Amino acid sequence: MKRFKLKTPARYAINTTLTVLLYVVLALIVSATGLRGEYYKGIIITVGINVILATSLNVVCGYLGQLPLGHAGFMAVGAYAGAIFMKATPAAALLKAGNNAAVIPYIIIAIIISALVAGIFGLLIGIPALRLKGDYLAIITLGFGEIIRVVLTNIDSVLGFKFTYGASGLARIPKFTSLAVMFVVTALCLFLIHVFMKSRHGRAVLSIRDNEIAAESVGINTTFYKTTAFVFSAMLAGVAGCLYAGYIGSLYPSTFKFMKSIEILVMVVLGGMGSMLGSVISAVVLTALPEMLRAFSDYRMVVYSLALVLMMIFRPKGLMGTYDFSMGNSIEKIVNRVRSKKEEKKEVKE
Amino acid sequence: MSTVLKCEHLRVVFGGLAAVSDFNIEVNDNQIVGLIGPNGAGKTTVFNLLTGVYAPTSGVITLCDKDLAGMSTIARSHEGIARTFQNIRLFKDMSVIDNVMNSFNNNMTYSIAHAMLRLPKYWKEEEKARERAMNLLHVFNMERYAKETAGNLPYGSQRRLEIIRALATNPKLLLLDEPAAGMNPAETENLMETIGKIRDAYHISILLIEHDMSLVMGICEQITVLNFGEVIAQGTPEQIQKDPVVIEAYLGKRRD
Repeated sequence: MKRFKLKTPARYAINTTLTVLLYVVLALIVSATGLRGEYYKGIIITVGINVILATSLNVVCGYLGQLPLGHAGFMAVGAYAGAIFMKATPAAALLKAGNNAAVIPYIIIAIIISALVAGIFGLLIGIPALRLKGDYLAIITLGFGEIIRVVLTNIDSVLGFKFTYGASGLARIPKFTSLAVMFVVTALCLFLIHVFMKSRHGRAVLSIRDNEIAAESVGINTTFYKTTAFVFSAMLAGVAGCLYAGYIGSLYPSTFKFMKSIEILVMVVLGGMGSMLGSVISAVVLTALPEMLRAFSDYRMVVYSLALVLMMIFRPKGLMGTYDFSMGNSIEKIVNRVRSKKEEKKEVKE
Repeated sequence: MSTVLKCEHLRVVFGGLAAVSDFNIEVNDNQIVGLIGPNGAGKTTVFNLLTGVYAPTSGVITLCDKDLAGMSTIARSHEGIARTFQNIRLFKDMSVIDNVMNSFNNNMTYSIAHAMLRLPKYWKEEEKARERAMNLLHVFNMERYAKETAGNLPYGSQRRLEIIRALATNPKLLLLDEPAAGMNPAETENLMETIGKIRDAYHISILLIEHDMSLVMGICEQITVLNFGEVIAQGTPEQIQKDPVVIEAYLGKRRD
């Protein structure tokens, strides 16, 4: 029997079509539900932001096998960088005038700036931090996240320019994160992570997780790849922060507390370290569920911890383990199974 | 015949203990050399010195007339030293073919941008690497495992995969740390053939640590015997088998 194989362009076409379909469905949900649509839109955008955060943390946590606890710090850096830039542009006036198309270049620049600034911070913290492993790395990144928050709380101007407004918060940020912006950026981030991991660089990162000594013995530059993965993850967190700033409209340093990092980490651990699908699913569930259970939202953290404990007992490797989903491979598998069954039937008849 | 590896007066001291003292060896082009000795003799320490895991207290290591002093494990891998480990160290959550392809990393030149934009260079190099990896797997009869997760392979195949992974870095010198450990006689026989095949097909020198004497005596052209960090004998298998000092190190001295 000839095995059915999907060609690469076909795989890309299928994935693109499904992504567009998903967007259409989401847009329909928002527009068809009238007034409640705005509420749903908010949830969907938050889900998207959390999906980026979780999958980007998964790069360091799941693929590189390190444990950083300062992800909210990078998100904060990205959020403030993007917000300050957007405030300096005429984006707010354009948005008010309903001229959405004219804002797009500003949004793109803001996202790039957020990614770059967060990436620079990632590099600065990554180079010294990644010399350490395990708990030590966790502590140093935790400390870094807190430093960012404390600095943002206490500094409101640099050289006389009012930038961050300290604890009183950065307000009146143009609200540029629409459903479409969120969706495109999230899809792009997931795509970037995917193509990064499915390359020689991705393989090198995975090999460091599995066995650093062996990776060195086959000539993998471990320091370079550790730093690269860390910076990449920080950049994506910065992008998520930028979207967050554009969605919420005002930033307070207290948003980016240590608990935020833990929340993201919980998503990654629950989903399965090293599985992008797992991270996406748990980000969706853990963001949407508290909204669905509004009445019980006080118990969110209890549910979190309970879910974590139960997960560690029954599925210590997380929801998906290290399984990574591939639409193309799944279709291939199904078609091949159907074919082999048909052939069996033929044989029986004969 | 040119010398591939040369160690002169190699010595390493941990605290007060000289784990290796005055170790000399010469490995020639296309030669299989055995390194044997009782437990704790310092064999694996020698490997760690050669691959740059430890820095020698004194002494010189040269690979093809190039001094390796101060080079990291990574740099030495680029220079052409590949090794396997006594306790298997595979990338166990990666597929078999990815284990092999990871070794090609240094021979591939596409950048992160190439990968992210999926430029033609990416496809071309990936395709080539995949083909090379499949060829290597084919030579060692591991083709059918290509998509299997490395950690799920049977023990013998894991050992073989480790050798393939080391070979894929295109080394001049291959260090095998107890390749036959835990293998039954049939598997060992098979391994002996494989090692001979590697040497002939890829023209590389092999230095191996082994306790299985049938393997060592069967394929090694030269043998160096270590005891308590010191070389006690060096020569062909026949010379080593008759050497009274070696027999004493392994079996002890007759009391009379």
